[in-house]
Amino acid sequence: MELSEIVSAQPNLNYAIDTVWVAICAALIFFMEGGFALLEAGFVRSKNAMSIIAKVIIDIIFGGMAFFAIGFGIAYGASNGWFAFDFGISENDLGLGLNVSNKLFWFIQLGFAIAAISIVSGALAERMKLVSYTIYVVIFCAILYPLVANWVWNPNGWLAARGFNDFAGSAAVHAMGGFSALAAAIVLGPRLGKYKKDGSANTIPGHNLPLSAIGAFILWFGWFGFNPGSTLGAVGNWELIGTVVTNTFLASAAGGISTMIYTYYSYGKIDITMVINGILAGLVGITAGCNVVEAHSAIIIGAIAGILVDISVIYIDKLKIDDPVGAVAVHGVNGLFGTLAVGLFAAEGGLLFGGGSSLLITQLIGVVTIATFSFVVTFILIKIIDKTIGIRISREEEIAGIDAASFGVESYSSHE
Amino acid sequence: MKKIEAIIRPSKLKAVQQGLKDAGIPCITVLPASGSGLQKSFTKIYRGTEQSLTLQQRTMIICVVSDGNLNKCVDAILDNGSDGEVGDGKIFIYNVEDAIRMSSGVRGNEAIH
Repeated sequence: MELSEIVSAQPNLNYAIDTVWVAICAALIFFMEGGFALLEAGFVRSKNAMSIIAKVIIDIIFGGMAFFAIGFGIAYGASNGWFAFDFGISENDLGLGLNVSNKLFWFIQLGFAIAAISIVSGALAERMKLVSYTIYVVIFCAILYPLVANWVWNPNGWLAARGFNDFAGSAAVHAMGGFSALAAAIVLGPRLGKYKKDGSANTIPGHNLPLSAIGAFILWFGWFGFNPGSTLGAVGNWELIGTVVTNTFLASAAGGISTMIYTYYSYGKIDITMVINGILAGLVGITAGCNVVEAHSAIIIGAIAGILVDISVIYIDKLKIDDPVGAVAVHGVNGLFGTLAVGLFAAEGGLLFGGGSSLLITQLIGVVTIATFSFVVTFILIKIIDKTIGIRISREEEIAGIDAASFGVESYSSHE
Repeated sequence: MKKIEAIIRPSKLKAVQQGLKDAGIPCITVLPASGSGLQKSFTKIYRGTEQSLTLQQRTMIICVVSDGNLNKCVDAILDNGSDGEVGDGKIFIYNVEDAIRMSSGVRGNEAIH
C-alpha cells in the first residue's frame, strides 16, 4: 500500500506523523541554545565565559516562563492585526490549520522566542548587569518578540495579510534580535579597553575558538529543525521539506565559501572566526525564503550574506559599537537582507524572476518596520533600565571578570 | 648550584629535553611563555581589526644543576634549541642558595641530582 493510502485510511496518522515531525524539530531548535552558549562563550574572554552561558540560561528559563505566561497569547491569540492578548496556551483553534496540539506548537514557538533573545545576549557580553538583563529578557519574550510574531505569523497579522513571506523568521527572529542587540550595545557602550584613546579599535580575541566553532556546528545542526520545522507538519509537505532542507544547506555552505574567499583576499589569511559567522549569515539569509527560492538562488543569497557579514563586522566596529560575537552583523544585517532577498529571488513573485516589485515592497515594509520597532523599543527600554537600576557592571567587576565577581567561579580553575 | 632559565621555541622542546636527558640532566620544569624579543613583532588580524604588539609563543625551561654540570646543560640547550636565527630565544643563569629534596629533606647538590 502507498503511504498516502495508509494515511487516508487512518486519519489519526496525520496527527501522529505531524506531531512527531514538529516535536523533533522543536527539540532541534531548543538545542540551538547550546550552540549560542558555546559560540558566545568561545568569543569572550575566559574571565566571562560562565557569565555568558548564564545569560543564555536566563534566556531559556526566564524567557521561557514569560513566553508561556503571556508571550504566546500576544503572538497567537485572536489578533486585530497588530495585537492580541491571552494568558497561557489557548485551547482554541489558532486558525493556522495545525495538525499538532497548541501545546506542541507553543513549544516550537518557544524555541524561536528564546533564539531571538539569545541573539541579543551575545552583543551584550562581558559588561551587562545580570538583573537588568533578566528584566529585559522577560519584557522581550513576554511582549516585544510576540508582537512581531503576531504581525508576521498570526493568521490575522497585518504583515501576514499583506503576503509578507518570512518562512522561518529572518525578520521576525533574526532582524528582531539583531536590531535589538544593536540598540542595546549602543546604550551599553563598549567594553573597557575595546577602543584606544585615539579612537582606534583594540582586538579582544575570544579565548576559545574551537568552542565557538562547536557552537556554530550546533546552531547549524539546529537550523535543520528551525527552517524545515516551520512547515509545522510533515504530511503533504514532502517536497517543501526537501526544498527547505536543501536551500538551508546550500546557503550556509555558500556563506562559508564567500567568507573564506573574502577574508583571504582582504587580510592575506583565511579568518576562520569570520567563516563561522559567514556560515551562520548564510543560514540567517535563507531563513525567510527557504520555501520559495530555487537552489541556485539559495547559493547566491548565502554567498552575498557571507560577504555582508564581513563588511558589517568591520563597519560596526568602526562605529564604536562593541559587539563581541558579531550578533548584529550576522543576525541583524542578514535578517534584513534575507527578508529582502525573498522579494528579489522568489521563484514566483521575485523581482529578478519577472514577478514585479510588489513582493519586494511588502518585504521591505515588513522588515524595516520590524527592525525599527525592535531598535527603538529596545533603545528606550535599556535607557529606562539604565536610569533606574543601571545596566553596566562596575569597573572593578568588569576588570576582575563577571565570573569571579558575580558567580565566584572560574571557568578553568587551575591548581588541580 | 646554578639555575638555568632558557626561553626557547616551542618546536624545540622535545629536542632540548632529549639533549638534557642525554647530558645527564633529566630534571626540568617547563612553562608556556609569551613575550617579545628583538625580532620584528608581527601584526595579527582578528575579525577584521589589526592588532600590533602581539606576543610570540615560547616555552621556558627551568633547571637547577651543580656548578660542574652548568656547561653541559647550556651546551645541550644551545645545540638542540638554536637554529642560529633571531627569535631562537635566550638563556639566563642565576646563582642558587640551596635546594631541598622534599621527600627526604636532603640538601645541596645531592638534592638536585
